[in-house]
Amino acid sequence: MSQFEVYSPEGLRMDGRRWNELRRFETSINTHSHAADGSSYLEQGNNKIITLVKGPTEPALRSQLDQTKATLSISVNVTKFSKFERSKSTGNTKNERRILEMQTALVRTFEKNLMLNLYPRTIIDIEIHVLQQDGGILGSLINGITLACIDAGIAMYDYISGVSIGLYDTTPLLDVNSLEEAAMSCVTLGVVGKSEKLSLLQVEDKIPLDRLENVLAIGIAGAHRIRDLMDTALRAHAEKRVLNASKR
Amino acid sequence: MSEVISVVSRNGAFQKTMIMEEFSSDESEDDYNMTGSEDEEEGEEGAEKSSSKPTSKKSSKNIDSELMTPGELITSDPIWMRGHGTYFLENDTYSSVAGRVSKVNKLLSVIPLKSRYAPETGDHVVGRIAEVSNKRWKVDIGGKQHAILMLGSVNLPGGILRRKSESDELQMRSFLKEGDLLNAEVQSLFQDGAASLHTRSLKYGKLRNGQFCQVPNSLIVRSKNHTHNLPGNVTVVLGVNGYIWLRMTSSMDLARDAPPGGSTQVSGGEASGRAAGPTGAVSLNPNASLSITRLEEESSWKIYSDENDASITNQLKQTISRYANIIKALAFCEVGITHERIVLGYEASLAYSDVGALIQRDNMEALGADVLNAERMRGNAE
Amino acid sequence: MAKDIEVSTAESQFILEALKQNYRLDGRSFEQFRDVKITFGEELGDVLVELGRTKVHCKISSSITEPYEDRPFEGLFFISTESTPMAGPQFESGNNTGEDEVLISRIIEKAVRRSGALDIEGLCIVAGSKCWAVRASVHFLDCDGGFVDASCIAVMTALLHYRKPDITVHGEKIIVHPVDEREPVALGILHIPVCVTSSFFNPVDAEQNIKGEENSEIVLVDATLKEELLREGVLTVTLNKNREVVQVSKAGGLPMDAMTLMECCHRAYDITERITDQILAAVKEDIAKRDKYSAILSSENAR
Repeated sequence: MSQFEVYSPEGLRMDGRRWNELRRFETSINTHSHAADGSSYLEQGNNKIITLVKGPTEPALRSQLDQTKATLSISVNVTKFSKFERSKSTGNTKNERRILEMQTALVRTFEKNLMLNLYPRTIIDIEIHVLQQDGGILGSLINGITLACIDAGIAMYDYISGVSIGLYDTTPLLDVNSLEEAAMSCVTLGVVGKSEKLSLLQVEDKIPLDRLENVLAIGIAGAHRIRDLMDTALRAHAEKRVLNASKR
Repeated sequence: MSEVISVVSRNGAFQKTMIMEEFSSDESEDDYNMTGSEDEEEGEEGAEKSSSKPTSKKSSKNIDSELMTPGELITSDPIWMRGHGTYFLENDTYSSVAGRVSKVNKLLSVIPLKSRYAPETGDHVVGRIAEVSNKRWKVDIGGKQHAILMLGSVNLPGGILRRKSESDELQMRSFLKEGDLLNAEVQSLFQDGAASLHTRSLKYGKLRNGQFCQVPNSLIVRSKNHTHNLPGNVTVVLGVNGYIWLRMTSSMDLARDAPPGGSTQVSGGEASGRAAGPTGAVSLNPNASLSITRLEEESSWKIYSDENDASITNQLKQTISRYANIIKALAFCEVGITHERIVLGYEASLAYSDVGALIQRDNMEALGADVLNAERMRGNAE
Repeated sequence: MAKDIEVSTAESQFILEALKQNYRLDGRSFEQFRDVKITFGEELGDVLVELGRTKVHCKISSSITEPYEDRPFEGLFFISTESTPMAGPQFESGNNTGEDEVLISRIIEKAVRRSGALDIEGLCIVAGSKCWAVRASVHFLDCDGGFVDASCIAVMTALLHYRKPDITVHGEKIIVHPVDEREPVALGILHIPVCVTSSFFNPVDAEQNIKGEENSEIVLVDATLKEELLREGVLTVTLNKNREVVQVSKAGGLPMDAMTLMECCHRAYDITERITDQILAAVKEDIAKRDKYSAILSSENAR
């Protein structure tokens, strides 16, 4: 397909990972303490994402006011320099259908996970800036939002962790990068906590029906791993904060 | 190569035999164990970790003040009442936020590390008028919703006990308009958690003669007193909501501190003779004749003035900004902000002659460390 | 689906309570897909699909144009979905940026266009300068749920039914033969994707859904409008007869067990098989009907 060998006979991928390895996963929490109530910066491979959570606050518009629960709004800003080649589109990327679809999917994912009924008559505004993207972006967005929402102290049922899995011939490849994503069909998952419940499931290309189960299995395992990584990062961050607090 | 992970049995089947080599190598086991109990419902993994996590049935100290993350099982013991930050299914109580477990009698709750300000009755807050509406002001106090300040809960010119007339309603903007800062007390809470404020004491009301400064609300600890006179003729109002007001010390501030034992910083000693009124109201001008009632004088239009006093010197403005920067530095170091620490910070900050230099990153860190050191030394000395 | 129309509390409780007792308001079983009715218009590629009360119309048109610079060997294929207040008060005219409209059009786009259901290389006439542009215009005429499913069937049936005029190429010159002069040619269809939408309802608490192990969620295939308004999650699976998953979309909503989702996919396959056969049979029948005419004509000429 391309000059690159997606998956070598020795079992190595383009970037030297094996089929079941995740990319580098690093995060910092509370990065924008003055600009937002909760914030996170996430690097998943070469995906670099800033997430800001503002709220719950008084909604600016009457139409955003819901008497029974908080309104959730998510806006994704994919910067023009985020890809290898600068985006040529002149218009505002926010109105692209692909972005709109992503925002809707994210809102619907988190609407069920955040306990919005605890914050009636308010709005929770989530703002995402994609500084760099390298495949599996939707999964990374989910992870970023999860961390930022936890940082903001918004009550939620559980973590949601996102990951993309590709299927190369018969081998599922965990956490695909953009080259792999272009070369094969991919599945994106949003998994709730340590369960096998999928909040989000998206397949955008052809995959044999009988292989799907396999791919899901790897994806869920990978997502659980990401949940653990997020948990570890969060606890490290929390320990630091608590240490500071004990000095008070 | 491709190991087939079959999905035969129900729970836990998906996450069999996964080895993420990349990560298992660079993360030490201890690190991982510390994270503790996250998957109670999974047999195999749960068993592995049970050594490091408190057995959930045990309701003693080990789950107290332990760090929890969302979705984590806190206890399977049904004796607990579930408070904020938790949710439950049958007997199991789970955490819904990241924070520490708090137990008060039988009430189990998880206090998030950080969240927006949640008002409580009696809190002294600083707020900003967001909206003037029918017989009430909406006040931004940094909470989830705007607080309400009823026209009936403020002191109006001409005496506290006067009825609110229609003309008052029409000239609400002349008392407080959008953007005005005020300090107030939380009078009560509405059903949905929104606060109702009042300013029916002379220590509350519109703020002027100074500068606003904001810190995370978790850094301000609720205490008996939130207004403090600082060296350099500056007074600070530490709103529980993290909003802080720094202003020139007024004679009222001096008088307030005087009666209960005379703070050392207070220079206006002559004020100490005059006792506070029943509302805590103290005459603005202690030397004024007492022939007119204090209340009437205090409740004059002056309390809603938008004019700053002409007597503020440049020197004083510098001092106020210095304090603002000290508070920013303390907030940067995530140190709790108290009266004592601000004073310590002020003493330490005198090493920098340029006030602007205080908010350079290095200096902020140094200042934070200095304050903590000084505090420790003082603690030892006593 | 839309925010503007709401089901009253009493009615929604009634519907949900009925679902808990294994009843659907229209008497179908949970896994039952509504009967599909396919009607052809006078012209080729003019199809009306009815799914219960839902009506979707699709019309294919084609023209000759210039291909994209970066894809000289490929023709153009567009799908435009149009929702007007005709279909229901929840749709605004001229505004296709609502959440649901975007999701519907994206899913159809992915199911048909991105999956390569239409052989777009076959639309190339002269590489780099001339190609066919095929346009499928989908109009929603009446709405009773299952828009995605119905439109996908409509688009695929219309594509199978459509015949584009025959052409002959002489170097740079192209002759387009009128339909009455030469038999028009069919489009190259590589596979027939069929969308099946399942809706999820949670009969228990959110806590039970997240932490419980019972998986008591209710799964409905092919929801009606009222069910759509009340559902808490939705999964649209697109499959073809070759047992290939073309597209799956579960954009958030109620978290569902992976196994349940797999079951939905397998169930969708049975429905897909049936509908594919129905589409093919309907197209074949209609084309044969049109052919009969010419068959009689040709036999007369031979005599």
